[in-house]
Amino acid sequence: MKKLVAYITAGFPNNSFTIDLALALKESGVDSLELGIPFSDPVADGPIIEEANLIALKNGFKIEQLFEISSQIATQIDTLWMGYFNPFYHKGMDLFTDYAKEYGVSGFIIPDLPHEEAKVYTDLMNKKDLSLISFVAPTDSEQRIKQVVENSKKFIYLVAYAGITGSGASEDLSQTITNIRAVTSTPVYVGFGVDEKTAKEKAVGVDGVIVGSAFVKILLDNSLSNNEKIKKISNLAKVIKDTINS
Amino acid sequence: MYIPKASKFDPDSNGHFGKFGGRYVPETLMPVLLELDEYYKTIRFDEDFWSEVDTYLKDYVGRPSALYYAKNISDELGAKIYFKREDLNHTGAHKVNNTIVQGLIAKKMGKKRVIAETGAGQHGVATATIAALLGLECEVFMGEKDVERQELNVFRMKLLGAKVHSVKSGSRTLKDAMNEAIRYWVTNARDTFYIIGTVAGPHPYPMMVRDFQAIIGYEAKAQILAKENRLPDYVIACIGGGSNAIGAFSHFLEDEGVTCIGIEAGGLGVETDKHGASLEKGSPGVLHGQMSYLLQDDDGQILEAHSISAGLDYPGIGPEHAYLKELKEAQYENITDQEALDAFVWLSQTEGLIPAFESAHAVAYLKKIPKEKIKNSLIIVNLSGRGDKDMIQAKDLLSFD
Ligand SMILES: Cc1ncc(COP(=O)(O)O)c(C=O)c1O
Repeated sequence: MKKLVAYITAGFPNNSFTIDLALALKESGVDSLELGIPFSDPVADGPIIEEANLIALKNGFKIEQLFEISSQIATQIDTLWMGYFNPFYHKGMDLFTDYAKEYGVSGFIIPDLPHEEAKVYTDLMNKKDLSLISFVAPTDSEQRIKQVVENSKKFIYLVAYAGITGSGASEDLSQTITNIRAVTSTPVYVGFGVDEKTAKEKAVGVDGVIVGSAFVKILLDNSLSNNEKIKKISNLAKVIKDTINS
Repeated sequence: MYIPKASKFDPDSNGHFGKFGGRYVPETLMPVLLELDEYYKTIRFDEDFWSEVDTYLKDYVGRPSALYYAKNISDELGAKIYFKREDLNHTGAHKVNNTIVQGLIAKKMGKKRVIAETGAGQHGVATATIAALLGLECEVFMGEKDVERQELNVFRMKLLGAKVHSVKSGSRTLKDAMNEAIRYWVTNARDTFYIIGTVAGPHPYPMMVRDFQAIIGYEAKAQILAKENRLPDYVIACIGGGSNAIGAFSHFLEDEGVTCIGIEAGGLGVETDKHGASLEKGSPGVLHGQMSYLLQDDDGQILEAHSISAGLDYPGIGPEHAYLKELKEAQYENITDQEALDAFVWLSQTEGLIPAFESAHAVAYLKKIPKEKIKNSLIIVNLSGRGDKDMIQAKDLLSFD
């Protein structure tokens, strides 16, 4: 079975909604949740996720909320924290790893913390039995792939194209996937630009997909009530999970 | 002929100045940065490359820039004040020193397109200029607020053939322009060269841009020795990201007895929340590919900066300055909007030099040096740019009858 990872923006529009949505996604076949920490300057994200980040902050999002939400959901659905490095650094990797351990969060996804800068945190993550997800990009050479996936844990986040989240771009990833498979048995999940239309094609040759903007677009749709949003996102998750496994 | 020299403040092989600097970017960009780092190593001290640069700097930019003894201001202050005239460069500021070299590198690396972020528009103009010169496509990212307050420079960029993107997110200033430039760069990583305008961003940019701007201090040192037969007591420069300052400082940092002073934007006062004084009021953090001092809240969210001058309106600072501050190798102060505006008028009317709002911050500090310290001292102020671009904004702020 190929896996489905869902990104949602934490606390958008409030904690109880995020908790309800997380639990509904579990029922819809989502295997892991990427709980997004809103950040003021999300440079790896396209306009959809950027907007959700900025609205959440305008509504007063605080990191406390991430911890509170996680304490309610992480025992029910496999949860990873996704965020830019500055909040982790500013509040302290010690504090984040302590709370992650306490609530049962399984790892961190930090898109602006490449291998070279992440190395100093390897021992800390290992000690707490947490995974820091390794990224591979289609611009990476065979040699660089070997370096960055060397200590990969849980899954490898393969970026589907050179670009930001939620664009319509696509690239031939077969050589990159071959290069990854040659050096590690860690599962490979592909993310960026995955929706119900692209899921089938993007899932070829990998072990799972990561979906963000397609869900967040529904979160941002003001014509829907909160209940309708949860229903619509759950249905979409089901469709995508079926598609990648059909 | 100017060739960069290795410095005791060079970063390590991953671009770290102490704990600052580094490369905090999406993985897609890492191969691009590693390639640039490798390429730069091959030309950093290469005579042929620098002799090509030298021709452009002499005949196109108009270097060396003069070191001007400002008699009227010197008499008023009881000190010897020299201005390093970066305002005389082609395009009106120090920014072109950097863009000409990065443009040549882009071309040699086979890139067809260059992009840039800009605040005051000076870096955007300097990039558009060299793109026209070298036959490169050019796209510039500028915050919507800066597009409004620097409309003359927006027109200049378009006249030079560049495409200007008005960035509407966040504070709509330099920080957001840089976010958008990075997004474009990630998307077009394979064929686009990002010409960063200051000593910030991921390695090797802070070191490269310092090397390119260090010609300011290299010339100034020879000039002051020729005129005064001694080194200055103070070298003063304004700080946005820190490129004109590091350029002015770097050849003096290792000299005993020379105090280098960087002037941050004090905005409405550093006791308010409207300023751009990242070193004074910020704390270490990661933004735009580097670790340095940042204005941020208790959750690590980046705060908006404020300054009368678009070029200083930035919540971060180059990592080498953060390092120099921690080592106490340079001194950092700040100047408010009002003090800068007063100095803008003062320099115009005593020396007939209209400085850029940014540079006016450095000039203003002359009046804040304690009397007993300034008396009989020898001072170089880096006049990083001229005020032409600020005329429309100044017209709204000042009136003369
Ligand atoms: C004239 C002038 N001086 C200074 C600056 C600030 O940049 P930096 O601190 O990199 O010199 C700018 C930036 O736009 C500028 O135009």
